[in-house]
Amino acid sequence: MRLRVLLWLPLLLLLTGGNAFAAQKWGIPHEKPVILRGQVVDLLCVAAGDCAPDCGAGRRQLGLLTAEGTLYPAVKSNVFFAGATLDLLPYCGREVTVDGLVIENPAMTLLFVQSLRGSGEAEWKPARAFIEDWETRNGPAREWWREDPKVKAVIARDGVFGIPGLEPAD
Amino acid sequence: MNRLVMAIFGLVLVLPWPGRATAAQRVQVTGEIVDTWCAITGIMYGFGTAHHQCAVWCAVGGIPVSIMDDAGNYYMVLKIEGDDRSVADPRIVEIQTHRVTVDGTLIERDGVKYLIVDQVADDRGIVNMTHDEYGIQPFGE
Repeated sequence: MRLRVLLWLPLLLLLTGGNAFAAQKWGIPHEKPVILRGQVVDLLCVAAGDCAPDCGAGRRQLGLLTAEGTLYPAVKSNVFFAGATLDLLPYCGREVTVDGLVIENPAMTLLFVQSLRGSGEAEWKPARAFIEDWETRNGPAREWWREDPKVKAVIARDGVFGIPGLEPAD
Repeated sequence: MNRLVMAIFGLVLVLPWPGRATAAQRVQVTGEIVDTWCAITGIMYGFGTAHHQCAVWCAVGGIPVSIMDDAGNYYMVLKIEGDDRSVADPRIVEIQTHRVTVDGTLIERDGVKYLIVDQVADDRGIVNMTHDEYGIQPFGE
């Protein structure tokens, strides 16, 4: 009976959405699935002592400072081509637990936030604040990156290669 | 005696973590403005004209930009010419993929070179022509 329950558990979690997240590997060199607990910080403030109220209110790159004193820049969320600032910003100065990947590339260490929960919160939240905010402002989109007004304006002016007049070959 | 021990213990707790960050140093960096995620992870070819459109997507999406110098060092840009906006900064979007020379302050910490750009001394525009070899990254369109 116990074995049967264990066999059905993954399906049950899948159907219910599951409260427990586990980092998805992307096959990136030097990636390491992690569950990291730390304080949400403004990178410019911690690195250079140049601080702003509310961690910069969405203008600044954010990171995670662990109790051991390690600083991780949170560069990527669970939305294609989007960062994690809006996911972390509500927790500025507070402790969160992040489920994701640390990329320990010798050239630079990065944190990919896949889901998170604040101290005392029971539920994991997928790191999708960027698209929720974007769709509130722009409406639903299948590929936000092709429909964003700023992107469209830049690409219409400069082309996909960034040089006006330089077009892809047919 | 106990007070002395407590005082030393308290001092250890409040002092900056030794060895975490190098002292800030003045630097001049020349290289390409790149999307940090694609360039570091290598999930696609992330340089030059082939990757320019994706670099614009990622900059607008709020992923930090870095400068990659000719030796392959990466410098994550946190501030540029007094403007502390480093998330979807319209100015950064405009210089994606450009080859630039900047003067600034470098702080290294926990495997990351953070750069505060005081001045963009030179901007040569986009000079890394990679599209003939790599097409349009990703998706080919």
